[in-house]
Amino acid sequence: MNIIEKILRNHSVEDIPEVSPGDIVTVNVDRAIITDMAALHPEFINEPPVKPFDNNKIAVIFDHFVPPPNIEISNRINRLRKLVDLWNIRDFYDAGRGGISHVIAAEKGFLKPGSLIANTDSHTIAVGAFNTVGRGLGTPEIMNIIATGKTWFVTGDTIRVDLNGNMNSNASYRDVFFNIAGTTGDIPNNNIEFHGDGIKHITMDGRSSISTMCAEISAEFSVFPYDGVLKNYMDNINIYDYKAIEPDNNTHYYKTYDIDLNKIEPMIALPDRIINNIKPVSEINKTEISVAVVGSCANGRLSDLRDVSSVLKNHRVSRNVRFIVTPASQEIYNEALRLGYIDTIIKSDALVTNPTCGACLGGHMGVVGDGDTVISSTTRNFKGRMGSSRANIYLASAKTVAASAVKGYISGDLSE
Amino acid sequence: MNNIEGKIWLFGDDINTDLMYPQVCYTLKEEEKPFYAMSANRPGWSKMVNHGDIIVAGRNFGTGSSRPAADNIKNLGISCVIAESINGLFLRNSVNSGFLALTVPGIVDAVDEGDLLYIDLKNNTVINKSNNKKINFKPLPQFLMDIIENGGIINILRNKGLLGWPL
Ligand code: SF4
Repeated sequence: MNIIEKILRNHSVEDIPEVSPGDIVTVNVDRAIITDMAALHPEFINEPPVKPFDNNKIAVIFDHFVPPPNIEISNRINRLRKLVDLWNIRDFYDAGRGGISHVIAAEKGFLKPGSLIANTDSHTIAVGAFNTVGRGLGTPEIMNIIATGKTWFVTGDTIRVDLNGNMNSNASYRDVFFNIAGTTGDIPNNNIEFHGDGIKHITMDGRSSISTMCAEISAEFSVFPYDGVLKNYMDNINIYDYKAIEPDNNTHYYKTYDIDLNKIEPMIALPDRIINNIKPVSEINKTEISVAVVGSCANGRLSDLRDVSSVLKNHRVSRNVRFIVTPASQEIYNEALRLGYIDTIIKSDALVTNPTCGACLGGHMGVVGDGDTVISSTTRNFKGRMGSSRANIYLASAKTVAASAVKGYISGDLSE
Repeated sequence: MNNIEGKIWLFGDDINTDLMYPQVCYTLKEEEKPFYAMSANRPGWSKMVNHGDIIVAGRNFGTGSSRPAADNIKNLGISCVIAESINGLFLRNSVNSGFLALTVPGIVDAVDEGDLLYIDLKNNTVINKSNNKKINFKPLPQFLMDIIENGGIINILRNKGLLGWPL
């Protein structure tokens, strides 16, 4: 069995020796996460589960609309807030105390290697960086999990992606993902497991960026192995009670791909989709932009803010561009302040917002208008995703976004 | 579950959830939401849909977010989605909303928009009544069909007394 099959087997409600592709497994969930989006689902706030299967295994994290952008959303989120008292939820992260659920889950130690996580948000696949399985689930389903502590998965075929070598300094982990997407194409119902000698160089931020973005190729689960880098992360947050999972020696994978990290260069996704729509930045004709965004669960992390600040140092954002930078969590925001990144960023005429999903979902804090051309390190470039359906959204690494914000047109590097 | 017959609307690859359920829907009244389905890629389409119509689409149908996209096209009157491949989250959401979404490789080449499609759920075949082409498909596991036939997961939870009062 591979890592994913073993984690599913270990969580199976029935005692089963093995899990193979095609099997439907009913599993016990280690941790369920609800975000403020639940407030926007009438079924949830009108008919919430009577009581949770275990209130200490549920976290409530407000992220999409922090702080609420209008009265309607504010009222609904207030209704959701009542649940926290009703159920006596210990792990509650309100505005000013948390950040994007996938990032908070990692910071607070909810993502223990070998565990199984349920979260309504579609980028829950992010947890795979932590040798953990999870995928996005709908709100009705999370209601079922809250009530019963259980859910089911159909086991898919698993693709092995070997990341080999070491990355050049001009490329980012987001570019590694673009490369993976270009190699595998969309893989609905299949899993990805990462292996290869290059992984040991990849930071937890990098792994999180890659696994988060695997939602965009419709992967079911995407999982990294357990190694020294992950162990260090867990040690640093004082989490030791877990059992990491390795694949069996003779594991057979459905397909195998090799990615040579040395060859990765800055890439960009052209508007409307990622699949079959990616190019090296160097091949893009001069494209003027009006909005630049760095943020999201994928690339609003400390290393992304560091990249932005090192690009912006001694430069100014082009006067034709509004550059919005959104740290993914309070902790990241704090660290970026301490390290001077925020100072550099705001002195370069970029706008720093509070931690939230914000512009990524076109909810607030940077909703784009008709005719805007956007370059963003967020997760999706669907038509209308960030506001107007008449805006064009390009996706790239934080580094490329920052360089483009300075130049006023899409550019992978200030020297170009 | 009864067999299904309906007129086809044909869509391409990678039709995403944000097209089916745009951001604006979140705070609209329930009855207004369905009319925003596909307004970005196919303006005016939602008004032409008749109750019982079927969506046929290409690869990776329903890629994207956990938003209630399946619910929205169900509420528009669509009886079923048939695609070359379906995103896992969309499939879960469909099942949990009591809405049928089937993976039928080869379907796109067997139909034109406006054709009349018959889905025989006993024999696991789709028949295009407009050109008599027939394709067999692998049915959804019974476990999932049971959730659909019970009207979705909310219904099941409600019937078990697991849901409470409004917040
Ligand atoms: S940052 Fe974007 S992709 Fe991530 S959870 Fe928020 S809305 Fe979803």
